[in-house]
Amino acid sequence: MSRFTTQPDGILLGRFEPIEADLLRLATTQLLEMLDSGAGDPQLAASDGIFGRLLPDAYRDDDEAAAEFRRFTATDLLDRKAQNAQVVLNSLGISKADADTPDTSADDDRQPVTVSLDPDTVQAWLRSLTDLRLTLADRLQISPDGVVHLAGDETPFLRELYEWLGMLQEELVYTIDV
Amino acid sequence: MTQTTEQTELREDVELDRPWVTLVWDDPVNLMSYVAYVFRSYFGVTPKQAEGLMLQVHNNGRAVVATGNRESMERHVEAMHGYGLMATLAKADE
Repeated sequence: MSRFTTQPDGILLGRFEPIEADLLRLATTQLLEMLDSGAGDPQLAASDGIFGRLLPDAYRDDDEAAAEFRRFTATDLLDRKAQNAQVVLNSLGISKADADTPDTSADDDRQPVTVSLDPDTVQAWLRSLTDLRLTLADRLQISPDGVVHLAGDETPFLRELYEWLGMLQEELVYTIDV
Repeated sequence: MTQTTEQTELREDVELDRPWVTLVWDDPVNLMSYVAYVFRSYFGVTPKQAEGLMLQVHNNGRAVVATGNRESMERHVEAMHGYGLMATLAKADE
């Protein structure tokens, strides 16, 4: 059963276990920080690995045209990606600043988190989930054939998070794409 | 000289007329269901067409998803980058 249900008014309701909501908040907060760090100089940022994937070359065989395209689009694209991430955080019911101090109450007391997503918010979620997966794929050093090359203690966790975000996105797509 | 000038002019004429294309490239991250959804929702194609384009990307490594003038192809590429897809534009015969 999908965690998402559509109400008659078109609003999607999504149910998350507290630990799931925490994970999504943490990952999205980190994405937002990363996007903010690149916002100052999108040109420079674009030469960096993950920014290169978030802002790929628009021309394969014309570096000059690719640089020109980036000059005109990078700031807007990064702004929109940051806005999308902020929308996800807002719908999880916590501000970015609060996300740094996770709820420390015992897990048993904590109720599932229900998010309410209107159509615009759904679009922000879909795009932000993609940005999260692209960022994780970069950290996991996933090659074009889909193989994970990162070998470290954090690999299993990052990989599980990557797969989970994919499932979440797919559930969202199937819920709206009927 | 004259000949070169004529050739240059001719080439420019051809370039003006030649359409551009938007290409979406396969990547190991984006899910097939999401890519098909993006094609359907952004380009307004039918679910069957969206599925066909998505499979072209998946099986051939890329697909032409739009044809037109350079400005509109740049708009499409920017939109695709907003969705997190790998997209480029090129002249139609490249």
